Amino acid sequence: MIKLLQVLLDGVLVGLVYGLIAISFVVIYRASRIVNLAQGEVLVVGALLFWTFTLGLQAAGLPVPLVVALLLTGAACVAFGLLLERFVFRPLIGQPAFAIFMASIALLVMLRGFAQLIWTAETRPFPQVLPSGAIEIGPLLMTSRLAIGAAFTVALTIGLHLFFTRSRRGLRLAAVAEDHNTALSLGVSVRSAIAIAWVLGTIVATCGAIVLLSGRIISLDVATIGFKALPVALLGGLESIRGAPLAGALIGIGEALAMAYLDPLTNGVASNVLPFAVMIAVVLIRPQGLFGWKRIERL
Amino acid sequence: MLPTGVLFETYSAEAGLLKTARARVAVAALVLALLAAPLATGAYLQGVATHMFITLIAVYGLHVTVGMAGQINIAQSAFVGVGAFATARLSEFGLPFFIVVPVAALVTGAVSVVFALPAARVKGFYLALTTFAAQVLFPIIVLGLPTSWLGGLVGLAVEPLTVAGRPMNTPTHMYYFTLALTLIASYAAFNLHRSRFGRALKAVRDNDVAAEVMGIDVLRHKIMAFFVGSMFAGVAGSCMAWVLQFVTVESFTLFTSVWYLGMLIVGGAYSPIGAILGVAFITLVQEGLHELGTAILRSGAQEAGGAIFAATNIALGACILIALIFEPRGLAHRWQVLKTGLQLWPFPHR
Repeated sequence: MIKLLQVLLDGVLVGLVYGLIAISFVVIYRASRIVNLAQGEVLVVGALLFWTFTLGLQAAGLPVPLVVALLLTGAACVAFGLLLERFVFRPLIGQPAFAIFMASIALLVMLRGFAQLIWTAETRPFPQVLPSGAIEIGPLLMTSRLAIGAAFTVALTIGLHLFFTRSRRGLRLAAVAEDHNTALSLGVSVRSAIAIAWVLGTIVATCGAIVLLSGRIISLDVATIGFKALPVALLGGLESIRGAPLAGALIGIGEALAMAYLDPLTNGVASNVLPFAVMIAVVLIRPQGLFGWKRIERL
Repeated sequence: MLPTGVLFETYSAEAGLLKTARARVAVAALVLALLAAPLATGAYLQGVATHMFITLIAVYGLHVTVGMAGQINIAQSAFVGVGAFATARLSEFGLPFFIVVPVAALVTGAVSVVFALPAARVKGFYLALTTFAAQVLFPIIVLGLPTSWLGGLVGLAVEPLTVAGRPMNTPTHMYYFTLALTLIASYAAFNLHRSRFGRALKAVRDNDVAAEVMGIDVLRHKIMAFFVGSMFAGVAGSCMAWVLQFVTVESFTLFTSVWYLGMLIVGGAYSPIGAILGVAFITLVQEGLHELGTAILRSGAQEAGGAIFAATNIALGACILIALIFEPRGLAHRWQVLKTGLQLWPFPHR
């Protein structure tokens, strides 16, 4: 019983990290109708930027306080998002979805190349931002890094949800998510929407990287977490900010249960297959996800 | 477009694959040049060409699924892998290659149909996601299966290829073997455009509602597009298994799939010429940067050499982006413009 509860708790906490990364995915889709397969690479770039401003500057003999490093990282994320908007996605406004999808794939390859070129492929320690160790609740253990991350995810979800549904700018983004050409004809700036989308998406992905990696090792392979966030985003609904953490918790629980009870029987396959089996099931049964907009084109 | 003064007297002449004497001569010259090439080149270049032929077969398949039928497939590399593993298992029974290759192609096609079935419910990007799942699941499942089935982490050794009782073990042998299969695949890919099935696929791509109204079974054709495209992948997988003589999941990654798609986009997705141009162009860029990298490494600059290898990724990504933004019809369109210009010279317009 205790083991089951512990498994469930771990599942929820890890799942909320997936949810946080899925939010960065959803934010981009929700504001610009771009499905970004390169989200894992964006996360790695964000993490490497943060590393540069903390341990990197420290190694160069210019240590800066954590708050300044965070601000610098934020500024770099903004610059990164604006660059992507200007040079990759602005020329593709109004192009078919296939072109934009392929552009995100091209971006995946390019970002990996740039990360390798600028920071080289070596693994490096990630700065300890969140406290290590665990919190004890009765017989249960909770990793404090993940617990803080979970609280942050919930707060961020509420904030972003209010932004997208209450603020004037957020509502304009909904028009862009509906259709680029319609939004343009209504006088909504698709350019600024895409810029906002990428700036927000990069910042949220970097937050995800900090929660995920704090005090651990960073390498280019971390990008595969982006592929795990894809099923989460799809299950929650690509347009739903609030769906992402919930779907993350669900998939996290499923994965933890599969890992604890099925993996010993299946040679470790079950927990890895589960998110993608869920993804195929979602596409087959309810393509808009749990809370997405009902707009899926069917035959 | 045909040059001025070409007239056809029968329908079969007009519907032919190579319409003019000039086209026939050009293709014959190309085939002869490819047949004669091993006389003048070393083992390294033959190896590069063999690899290029295999890639071309896989990209032809992608051209059918993505270019002709408009269904995004980001699992082509996994399907090549299915063909390679099927070949490795089949070769253990001592079957001749002309049975192994078609069976491997059919097995690959059957596997792809499983991931094409969601086409009954969704289209576009959501369908792309199921192929994405196929690509991610492929290594997980191969590694998870018992080692005696597909070799697990170690991989499977492939029985060497024999043709008419003689072992094919030199690079030159493999060059000719893959060249023969590539010529057959090229014929199939070019011919598909002239067939009823090919025209039906293009109708589905351009407007599936209109296609349905015209009496085309849209769902069946979408699934068939995956099936046919993956059969090409299966043939490519067979070749790859025999060339590498050892198959592991590490040869069939998401990145390879992305490279295949990139080649198709850069070359132009809508014609088989695009597949040829794209594969040739990207292979040239890749090999060029690779050569540069090794040259720099030999000269002693370790770090710059590593940077060149990273630059290969950047170059590929940039090629795809530039093609998408500036020339969505790809190199094939540029080639067409160039050819028309030469045919009309010295007149600027028709």
